[in-house]
Amino acid sequence: MTAISLHHRLPEGWGVPLVVFACTAFLVVVIKLISPGSALAQQIEAILVTAIFLVIASMGQGLAILLGGIDLSIGVVMGLAGMMISGLTNGADAALGWAVPATLASCAGIGVFNGLGIALAGIPPFIMTLASGSIFFGIGLGFTAGAAQRPVAPVLQKLMSGHVFGLPLPVLLLAVFAVAAMAFQNGSVEGRRLYAIGSNPKAAKIVGLPIRPLTVAVYGVSGLCAGIAGVLLAGYASAATLDMGDPFLMPTIAAVVIGGARVTGGRGLYLGTFAGALFLSVLETIITVLSLSQGLRDIIEGTIIVMALLLQTAPGKRRF
Amino acid sequence: MLFATRQKVLLAGAAALLFAGAAQQSAAEEPHYKVFLDMSYSGNIWQAAAANGIKALAATPPYDKEVEFKTIISGTDVQRQISDIQSMVAAGANAILIYPLSPTALNRVIRQACAQHVLVFTYDATVTEPCAYNVSNITARYGANSAQWMVNQLGGKGELVINHGVAGTAVTKAYDAQALHIFSRYPGIKIVGEFYGNWNDATSQEGVSKILAAHPNLDAIWTVDGTYGSLQAVMKNRPDRLVTIAGQSNNGYRLMIADPKLQARGLRGLSSSAGPAVGPYAFKVMMEVLTGQLKPTQHNIEYPLPWVPYTDVKLCTGDRFVGGCNTFPEGKVPPLFIDTSLNGDLLPELSLTAVQEGKPTPGARIQKLPDIHYAENLPGINCENCTAPPDAMEPNLVKPIPVPK
Amino acid sequence: MKITVKIRRALAGGGAPFATVVCLLMYAIYAVRAPSALSIFGITNVLNDAIVLAIGSVGLTVVVLAGEFDLSGVGVIAIANVLVATTSGATGLGAVGSLALVLAIGLLVGTINGVLVALFHLQSLAATIGTMIACEGVALLILPAPGGEVADNIATGLTGDVAGVMPVALLILGGFAAAWFLFKRTSLGVAIYATGADAQAARLSGINLRRTRLVAFMLAGLCYAFAGYMLSAETGTGDPRVSSALLLFMYAAVAIGGTSLSGGKGGVFGSLAGAGILTVLQKMLFALGVAEFYTNIFNGIVMICALLFGNLASLLVGSVRRQVAK
Repeated sequence: MTAISLHHRLPEGWGVPLVVFACTAFLVVVIKLISPGSALAQQIEAILVTAIFLVIASMGQGLAILLGGIDLSIGVVMGLAGMMISGLTNGADAALGWAVPATLASCAGIGVFNGLGIALAGIPPFIMTLASGSIFFGIGLGFTAGAAQRPVAPVLQKLMSGHVFGLPLPVLLLAVFAVAAMAFQNGSVEGRRLYAIGSNPKAAKIVGLPIRPLTVAVYGVSGLCAGIAGVLLAGYASAATLDMGDPFLMPTIAAVVIGGARVTGGRGLYLGTFAGALFLSVLETIITVLSLSQGLRDIIEGTIIVMALLLQTAPGKRRF
Repeated sequence: MLFATRQKVLLAGAAALLFAGAAQQSAAEEPHYKVFLDMSYSGNIWQAAAANGIKALAATPPYDKEVEFKTIISGTDVQRQISDIQSMVAAGANAILIYPLSPTALNRVIRQACAQHVLVFTYDATVTEPCAYNVSNITARYGANSAQWMVNQLGGKGELVINHGVAGTAVTKAYDAQALHIFSRYPGIKIVGEFYGNWNDATSQEGVSKILAAHPNLDAIWTVDGTYGSLQAVMKNRPDRLVTIAGQSNNGYRLMIADPKLQARGLRGLSSSAGPAVGPYAFKVMMEVLTGQLKPTQHNIEYPLPWVPYTDVKLCTGDRFVGGCNTFPEGKVPPLFIDTSLNGDLLPELSLTAVQEGKPTPGARIQKLPDIHYAENLPGINCENCTAPPDAMEPNLVKPIPVPK
Repeated sequence: MKITVKIRRALAGGGAPFATVVCLLMYAIYAVRAPSALSIFGITNVLNDAIVLAIGSVGLTVVVLAGEFDLSGVGVIAIANVLVATTSGATGLGAVGSLALVLAIGLLVGTINGVLVALFHLQSLAATIGTMIACEGVALLILPAPGGEVADNIATGLTGDVAGVMPVALLILGGFAAAWFLFKRTSLGVAIYATGADAQAARLSGINLRRTRLVAFMLAGLCYAFAGYMLSAETGTGDPRVSSALLLFMYAAVAIGGTSLSGGKGGVFGSLAGAGILTVLQKMLFALGVAEFYTNIFNGIVMICALLFGNLASLLVGSVRRQVAK
């Protein structure tokens, strides 16, 4: 069965994610091949636990790209979220009740700031989110000088290392988040509206869709997702640094596009983003366990990303 | 009224002039130096601690009156660092303390600065330009010493994983070469895996958890930084059988390696690596040279390599490193706080507030430094046309064990 | 037409004039506080500081005009830099030989990008992320740590002045501007604009989209290689690490210069002015005494304001046109 005929038998848009899942499974097999002594179950657990940051942050990036935009502030917001949650909780659980909402609200606020600049002032998303990332990094640097923050609340640390029914808690979180995200992006009215705006902004305007409020909301959600990812990352690492979110920015973009989204907007399921994030996490794992110099690792990583893109682009798909 | 308003104004004006004149006079007598700190990387704990320490010293008497101090963050683009250094020279800097982005790319602009009689110092990262002064422990052979320590602990055999720092840097190349040189002497030591933790604890934690799944029997991890994260990964995935490990000096890491319960599960740790205190130390050396108190005969100055094996961890009771203590109790500082931000011997003026907030320690005064030690040559790192000493890759802090049969 | 209307039109009709005015204004503020800025030495320094960003932005502009993304620029710059540092010496290829080599590499990477995007229909944003990562790897393989040595005639020749008055950097930038002025009017140049503005309409009017996109990426690759060559001249050595900060500044220069990131509008002159703004901004902030983290904040604010005012200016033109039409 070719990818195209598969395409006709499945719900709309599922073709690409499935191809990506298949590639991911193939890569997992490769892991076992290159390190025969590995405990595959433990490896998969390690992959899924560390994939959660990319999966959550990519959700926000996916929504921004769905609207035809992009969010370059995700890395900075993640770092700020980690710094805030560890600074506010100060090693105790007592403050969690208000520290978590305060942190997430601030991150969503940065997103709203982005959205307002894009929707009201007409600033291109690339520049607006790049600039706000720089501004808020500077503000974070001003407040903390980048210095080590207080320890992270124990509950968060246990969340990221705990187990329930034999499965790691983060993996369950991952599944819950994925289901919720799919329901929102592809099952809700707001989600459908985003698709409409992304694929044909002019028509959407004529029909009277609330483009500006939705744009602001989308970037707010992106900030929120980055915030959640940052809080979880701080729990995982039991510590936070201002620059700890930086390695995640490019992968969120790659995950969304590998998952089938169009940078011009209007196409791509969250399932695809999810598949892309998993694919990249497995790819990172292969790169990690290979005993090669960084130069060779980079070449392999870049080549595999391009190959994944080649596979998921059906031939002749681009009409012009 | 004794004096009319106009006369009062005249008198007041004359008095003001006199005072101004007097102030000018005393200002001319006080030394006044324009000093810049040029950072490149920012937003991470190491850089923050070093910068805070330097700022605290610049605000400590007598420098608080003598030094006009400013910090610039150039960012990670080398052309911008070149541009900022040019600006500093044009602004009349007397001395510039730099964290250079590259050992070679700044040489031309540093030469321009030296030609304008600006004193140029670097801290931790070095440059090969001869007119600059380098203050670093990069010549203290961290790679060879820490690798040898690990080999000794392992008895010359075991499965080892290497956690590289950022690729493409002179530091990573030098330390990796030294460590591999030592490990390769012992056929019983097998390097089963290597990855790039990039000196980052979260990245290292992710990397080790994956490498551990790929090589469940590994015995040891060699790191330069990201040590706390590496150990965390082992603690969470294989808590009953820990590892031999060498690396940074985060307080949480020192507490773990000193914990007898963890030692009973096989944890053997070395806390070493470059510490942020090299920054404040470089500042003090620079100021002593600037004020004429110190006249170095060479340009490469070695900062002593921090060296705290698990047997030497000593808890402090106060806010400073006194009486040989080198670690803070749990809860006093965050686990990632780098203990080597402080140095009881060379930097008695620094305290916790100084390195965490950049404020001077109340009541402190700058103390004269003990004798400085010069560093050996490392071509491409701190000198251009030079040769390294023949034993540059050999450990000088640890006596090697013989190769087991 | 009133002179104010003429000025407004000029300012709003493409970001380049507006950006140039802003750049000169910033330079004036900088010069007030740092008189050395007006000397030949000072001007040469600023031009040298800006040139890598400027030429990189020129390459990026061509791709952006065609409606595509290109994140691989900094990868090509890194490869070019390490190649010059390892091959330009007396025993190697020399100044011209190494230039030819890096231009060939730049052309190769540009062709790969172009083939992936134009022929295989990959999305340029993700495809160029892939090529950028691969280029990083190649640079690390060629030179694992900073070092190497750039031939003296490159390092001193390209960073100095001609006859003590004309900075070589200015000549080079002038050359690029002139080349663009000519290229813009060729059929390929027009095709690039058309493809970016409305690809379907361009295709219907007979433009070969494949060839246009391919050429855009190839030209960009050549520019990036030249930028890397200039980086070697500026720093005198090779460094295999890519600077992600430089990539983002390149995009900022393009956008501030008035080129639309969705394609079809703007041009190289604007990007050159945009690169100037970003470089002079750093000098101006230093001269004004802004230090530390404030520079990050100001960089962001200036970027936003530059685009905000660009939009406002367009609005003004809209109202001016309505007035004139009445």
